[in-house]
Amino acid sequence: MIARIRVYALIIPLATLFAGPAPAAEDVTLLKDLTSVILLLGLPCGQVVRAKRQADNDHLATCKSGHRYRVFVNAEGRVVAQKQ
Amino acid sequence: MRALGIFLFALAAGCAGVKETPPAVKSPAEPLVVVPPPAAVAQPPAAPLQPASKDEAVKTEPVVSAAPPESKSQSVKPAPPPVKAPAKAPVPAVATEPPRKSESPPAVAKAQEPPLDVATLTARLRDTKAIGTFTKLALKNQVDDLLKQFRAHYASGRKASIDSLRQPYNMLILKVLSLLQDSDPALARTISASREAIWSILADPEKFNSLT
Repeated sequence: MIARIRVYALIIPLATLFAGPAPAAEDVTLLKDLTSVILLLGLPCGQVVRAKRQADNDHLATCKSGHRYRVFVNAEGRVVAQKQ
Repeated sequence: MRALGIFLFALAAGCAGVKETPPAVKSPAEPLVVVPPPAAVAQPPAAPLQPASKDEAVKTEPVVSAAPPESKSQSVKPAPPPVKAPAKAPVPAVATEPPRKSESPPAVAKAQEPPLDVATLTARLRDTKAIGTFTKLALKNQVDDLLKQFRAHYASGRKASIDSLRQPYNMLILKVLSLLQDSDPALARTISASREAIWSILADPEKFNSLT
């Protein structure tokens, strides 16, 4: 019993220490990034509340206002927000 | 019991390590702000405090009191200036006021204003963590578009309508500032202060050609 407690006492702190940033934090960063892009492109959105990754550099963003945009990088290297 | 102690210690160490990263982000921005200060006048600090041009008698006081600090007590000093002021005021006051007014505003402006060139601006925007990769790429696209407009303008040979590009330039600067002002206020301030310097580069065909 004591040995098991010791094992857990080692595993749990190590997992806490070496765990990367939480997925939720990455999501928030991505949502903020997509919000900024859509704003920068002059499209109505308000705030992106949900994002679904479709491919590399290709996301489907859902805005608070209800608008949905496909935000992706096209072949010319330009960021495009395509209304869905 | 010992294991529980180790667990709590490690947990506390894990939590404590997270908060130390943000200050490190700010440090690379500071050395770049230091770079540009041009030659400033050695006497500016007193000038901005005295710009109130109300009474000539008040301005002449320091000049008169600085010259004759002879032998009277401090209680007597406040009385003589108003008497001497009307006699000596016209000549020195007129002589001293114009240079002070012309020197003090640029000195204050230069102290706050780091002239940022386009290359430095690009580098700092690339390095900042205040905006995400998509936003950076979109911003780069828009900067390239604007530069393309300048290039086309200079290639066409027109010289009169460079001001027509001022509005898109201002709009782009405002967009950048709105993106940065919350997350990287130092860079936002630097860009805001360098707005005219960057425009002067873009609006001058020779500087623009040397840039691109």
